[in-house]
Amino acid sequence: MTALERWRLVESYGSTPVVAMGLDEVLLQAAEARPTLRLYTWEPEALSLGYFQRFDDVPAARDVPHVVRRITGGGAIHHHAGELTFSITARDDHPLYRGEVRESYARVHALLIEALRAAGLGDAFAPSLASARGGLRSDRGGTGMCFHASTPLDVVWGERKGIGSAQRRTGGRVLHHGSIKLSPSALEPDVATALDARVTLTPRAFGALLRCVFERALDATFDAAPATAHELELAAAAGARYAEQAFVHRR
Amino acid sequence: MRPDDRRYMDSHEWAKPQGELVVIGITDFAVQELCSGNEGDLVYCDLPELGRRVEAGQTFGEIESVKAVADLNSPVSGEVVEINKDIEDHLEILSEDPWNKGWLIKIRPDSPSLDHLKDAASYEQHVAAEGH
Repeated sequence: MTALERWRLVESYGSTPVVAMGLDEVLLQAAEARPTLRLYTWEPEALSLGYFQRFDDVPAARDVPHVVRRITGGGAIHHHAGELTFSITARDDHPLYRGEVRESYARVHALLIEALRAAGLGDAFAPSLASARGGLRSDRGGTGMCFHASTPLDVVWGERKGIGSAQRRTGGRVLHHGSIKLSPSALEPDVATALDARVTLTPRAFGALLRCVFERALDATFDAAPATAHELELAAAAGARYAEQAFVHRR
Repeated sequence: MRPDDRRYMDSHEWAKPQGELVVIGITDFAVQELCSGNEGDLVYCDLPELGRRVEAGQTFGEIESVKAVADLNSPVSGEVVEINKDIEDHLEILSEDPWNKGWLIKIRPDSPSLDHLKDAASYEQHVAAEGH
C-alpha cells in the first residue's frame, strides 16, 4: 500500500488584494515542506497585472480602484465576485511540475478540465485540441487581459478561453496562479464563463470540486489548514509591495 | 555532451572563464524547459545594470516565457561589467545558440575559482536525474 501524498489546503475566500498576493509569496517560501493548494476570492475586487506587463498596455487598469502586480507572468486578470483564484505552491521536482513548463501546464489543466466537466461544462477540452484550432473567439488585441490572449496550452469551452494561468519559478519552487471565471465581467468581455454555459457555480462550490478532483487524481489527501495569524502577518507585510504604486507602475 | 569548457549550476546557468572575467548564460536544458522548442515562447529577459554587484547563488535577472517567469542565478560573486544587449530584443538567440551568442552577462569575479560548480559530466547526471 502506498502512502497518500499529503497536501495542505488553504481556503482564504475574501482576501484583500494585499493578502491575496502576500499569502501566495508566504506559501511559495514554504513550498519546500509540502505542496499547497490555495483557493481564494478577492474583496474588494481588483485587477492584477502580469509581472512584466506595462501598466499602459492594460487600459482597464485605469478603471479599477485596486491594482496589484503579480510575481507570475502573463496578462492582466480581473478578480471579481464571480471569479475563483487558485494557487499551487510546490517544489519544482514535484510530479506535477518536473520537466518542461509546457508539460506541467498540461498536467494541471487536465485536472481543471476534469473538475469543469464534473461541474457540467462537458465541452471543456484539452489544450492539444485548442492548439489544433488556432485562435479563439475570445482573442482580442489591445486589452492586455490574460483571457483575451490565447496560447495552445489554454483550457477552452465554447471556443473561448476559460482559464488563465501563469507560473513563477524560483529557488527550486513553483507558484502556479490560476483564474476561473464563473460569471462574466465587463472588463473581460467575450471570455468563457461557467454561467455562459448555463452552469451556476459559486467560487466555494467550484473550489470544493477542485479539491475532490485533486485528491482523487493525485492520490493525495488534503489537510485543510487555514493561514495562521503569523502567516497572515507575514502576508500583509510581503503583500504591501504588490500594491505599491512604484511597483504597479514600474513598467 | 554539453561543453566542457565551462561549469554549471543545478539551476541550469553556466559560467565560462574569459580572461579576468566570467561569462554567464543559461543551458539548452533551461531554454527547453521554458519554451519546449518554441523560441517565440520566450518573451522577456530582465538583465542587471552595469556595475551591479551580484552574489553567488543569488538572482541577477529574470526571464519570462509565455507561461512562466523564472529567476536567473549567478554562479559567482562579483561585479557586472558587460551585458548582452542583443538578448532583450532577440530572445530567439537563446534557443539558437545558448552556449556562445546567447551569453547574458559578464562578471568580474571576487575569486577566479569555479570549483564550487558542476563540471559537464556532473551536470549531465543532474539533468538526467531531473527526468530527461
